[in-house]
Amino acid sequence: MHDKLRKYLEKISHYLAAVSGKEEILNEIKSHILEKSEQEFGEINESAIDKVIAHYGSPRKVAEKYMEGFEIIAPSFKGYLIRYTGILFAIHFSLTMLAFIFRANFLVLPFFYIPSIDSFPELFYLPMSFVFDLGLAGIILYFVTQSRKDVRLPWINLNINWQKMIQNRQTKSRLIPFILMLLGYSGLVWVFLRFNTLFFKTISFQKAESLLTPAASQWYSSALLALLGVGLAGYAIKFLNTSEWVNLLRSGLQLVILGIIINKPIEAPFLKFPYLNLSLIANIIITIVVVLIAVDFLKSLIILGRTALFKRSLQNNSSSGRQK
Amino acid sequence: MATDISPFETEMKRGFLQVLILVLLERKMYGYSIVKNLEKKGYLIEENTLYPLLRRLEKKGLIKSQWDVSEKRPRKFYVITKKGMDVRRQLLSIWHRQNEILTHVLEENKNA
Repeated sequence: MHDKLRKYLEKISHYLAAVSGKEEILNEIKSHILEKSEQEFGEINESAIDKVIAHYGSPRKVAEKYMEGFEIIAPSFKGYLIRYTGILFAIHFSLTMLAFIFRANFLVLPFFYIPSIDSFPELFYLPMSFVFDLGLAGIILYFVTQSRKDVRLPWINLNINWQKMIQNRQTKSRLIPFILMLLGYSGLVWVFLRFNTLFFKTISFQKAESLLTPAASQWYSSALLALLGVGLAGYAIKFLNTSEWVNLLRSGLQLVILGIIINKPIEAPFLKFPYLNLSLIANIIITIVVVLIAVDFLKSLIILGRTALFKRSLQNNSSSGRQK
Repeated sequence: MATDISPFETEMKRGFLQVLILVLLERKMYGYSIVKNLEKKGYLIEENTLYPLLRRLEKKGLIKSQWDVSEKRPRKFYVITKKGMDVRRQLLSIWHRQNEILTHVLEENKNA
């Protein structure tokens, strides 16, 4: 067989992997190309075959014509792939956070098992769980598509104005708030350098007294500064780049810092303080902060997912318009 | 600037081509001969559209095929089946009816 024809058929064969009767299809294409080459160019040679192949179309396009009506996931369900993956990942993410905070295993049948692991392995566990969630949602939608039934998939309409939300989150930073934040942050750094703590029992410069032991003061104050510093840096970057990736990176880093704080607790950090259970209050505050930042992180992931999906559908629309 | 009608044309062609093939395959023909036959009639069809369509029609039992290996090159010949004839009759009747409706509406517009 002619080399170009063989290579062309091989490429089509590659894209036809999931189609039954592949050999028959290839034989027919081969027969057509040889016939046309002879009829229209007088003889079958490499140059004639080359021209006929060029007219026949790219291997992928040719193969896809045989797959019309055989979608893995029906177009009407494609939006649900992102929605369901988002929900599954939100559950996974929340359970991971809880496993992280309470240092416990979580098992929610039938899909979720989150072992109690250290902070850094836990970070690697999250992308893996995202891939699992995407696969699980894909498998469910695959079976729904293959059943060819008119299935109305469940979905809660939250009436979220995504356009407005994205606009709000991706606006450029403003100078005055930034200067105020920078001044506040510098003030905190000064206080920390001056008193070795940011957690005071009394607000008096003459008789400043820390709530925490010296070691705990050092550790928790540094962590708080790191947390706020990342927030401030994120705001500063948004003068130059308002992408959602900046928000994702900021909240991601803040979660890492919180993870380190939670996973490296200091024994009996509080000095004796009457009336109040400070450990409990601190735990509640940290939990609230983790939840708030985690929600922000999830929002970024959802927005990035939606944006990617929207861009892809635009590209598909314009390319299918061009093809036609 | 003239509007690009190619997307609308593609939509229209999709159904028309099925009927056309069912009409054409009253007698045995192979892929290349179908392309050339239609080309002579002024109807251009892409080969990569024709063969998948033939395959779909065959899967639905509207046409059947057979390889002819008696010539120097094997050719796959297609011909309409009984089921195909029945479907063709019904499709042509729909097409005639649609034509009548369209003509009627155009007449109405002209007289309005």
